Amino acid sequence: MIRNLLPILLLMSINCFSQKYTANDGEITFFSYAPVEDIKAINKNVSAVYDISSNDIIFQLDISDFNFRKKLMQTHFNENYLESDIYPKANFIGKVIAVEGDKAKVKGLLTIHGITRDIEATGALVKKGDFVKILSEFKIKLEDYNISIPTIVMYKIAEEILINIEVELDSSE
Amino acid sequence: MKFNLILIIFLLYSNIGFSQESLLSLIDGKSTEYSRYIFKGTKIVNSESVEMPDAGVLQFMIQHRFGTLNSGFYNFYGLDNSQVRMSFYYGINDRLSVGIGRSSALKAIDSNLKYRLIRQSEGEKSFPLTICLNSSVVFKQYVTSNLPNNFLLSNQFSYSHQILLARKFNRNLSVQLSPTLIHYNLLPIDQLSHDLYSLGYGARYKLSNSVSVNIETFSQFNSENNINPLSIGFDIQTGGHVFQFHLSNSAFMIDRAFIHETYDSWGEGDIYFGFNISRVFTLKDQ
Repeated sequence: MIRNLLPILLLMSINCFSQKYTANDGEITFFSYAPVEDIKAINKNVSAVYDISSNDIIFQLDISDFNFRKKLMQTHFNENYLESDIYPKANFIGKVIAVEGDKAKVKGLLTIHGITRDIEATGALVKKGDFVKILSEFKIKLEDYNISIPTIVMYKIAEEILINIEVELDSSE
Repeated sequence: MKFNLILIIFLLYSNIGFSQESLLSLIDGKSTEYSRYIFKGTKIVNSESVEMPDAGVLQFMIQHRFGTLNSGFYNFYGLDNSQVRMSFYYGINDRLSVGIGRSSALKAIDSNLKYRLIRQSEGEKSFPLTICLNSSVVFKQYVTSNLPNNFLLSNQFSYSHQILLARKFNRNLSVQLSPTLIHYNLLPIDQLSHDLYSLGYGARYKLSNSVSVNIETFSQFNSENNINPLSIGFDIQTGGHVFQFHLSNSAFMIDRAFIHETYDSWGEGDIYFGFNISRVFTLKDQ
């Protein structure tokens, strides 16, 4: 009987020791560099959670929280390209697979526009007291996420989009 | 022993799966989704929709209405006649916009204020409709030498007040009802009352992400002798513009005129071709 309970107790103790860091005001910016026009949008309501014991790391955001300088672009982004009424959220669910000083590597599943892809990215992961700061930059391809920009649209969008992440998480316990 | 081992592995695996799920639930925050982009333009065809320019955005709109399609080859099926309304709309904040326009044929200057009371939303804060108030004032110019000496300046004003009730049923279909009161300071020809009531019906159906078909009509309650306006059009959206092409039995572009001063009928072929072009400029960064 005790033997049977042991793993359960063990698991419970693991959960107790796990230390989680969360944020709901992280910033994700994306850039499209194209000859005609550079496009940039920023989302300041990014949620993130990092479990230091299991190395699980998750980012999530609402597509409609991206702010563009040109509001019409924001309309097209939401209504036509990212279709935020059907796919309101984008997220990354993965693990920190390597840490070397302040540098870290993550691997996991990135879901945008309802399409999930494996990705790997490197960045900075700095732990300071009750805070963990995460910085990263990586590129994604629009076609990987089935985001097509019709030719009728006059502004040109780069095929590769640069994503910049800056999140400060604090201890949730 | 073997059984225990399997149990431990099973539990461990289920815990990993569960732990990411539960981590996700820690941050699954936003609980209210607002319905946006109910119509493509700030006008359905002639009448105001619940859309307005975003805060800090200036919208310039050119509206053209040609003559009737049944006016024959001599008038090039109406294209020889055209009247125009040029207007500017500006989003003061997320809820309030102001506009000013000038119509060529009526020699009228109009100005409007549109205020959004509430947005259609789902989730924690749920509300079935987007509701806006729209009020406009029209100043009709007359040739002063034709006017009697005791003609008051106030006679040149008329007003329009609307409650715009819209619902986006799904991503393609949006419907709007617009209870409308028009007040004429000067009693118009044919009418018995200074205050005319009507109910507007509008709808749009998206054919693709950048094209929608729109329909709009008004039924009048205490108006005499005129015909209800009926308009059908297409909205085409491009990078910076919205083009709206339509057919209507009214050639007018301000509330009072297309609702209560339409005398042409679809049945007799008195159909006007027209278009609206709007272009937006971001004046103020948010």
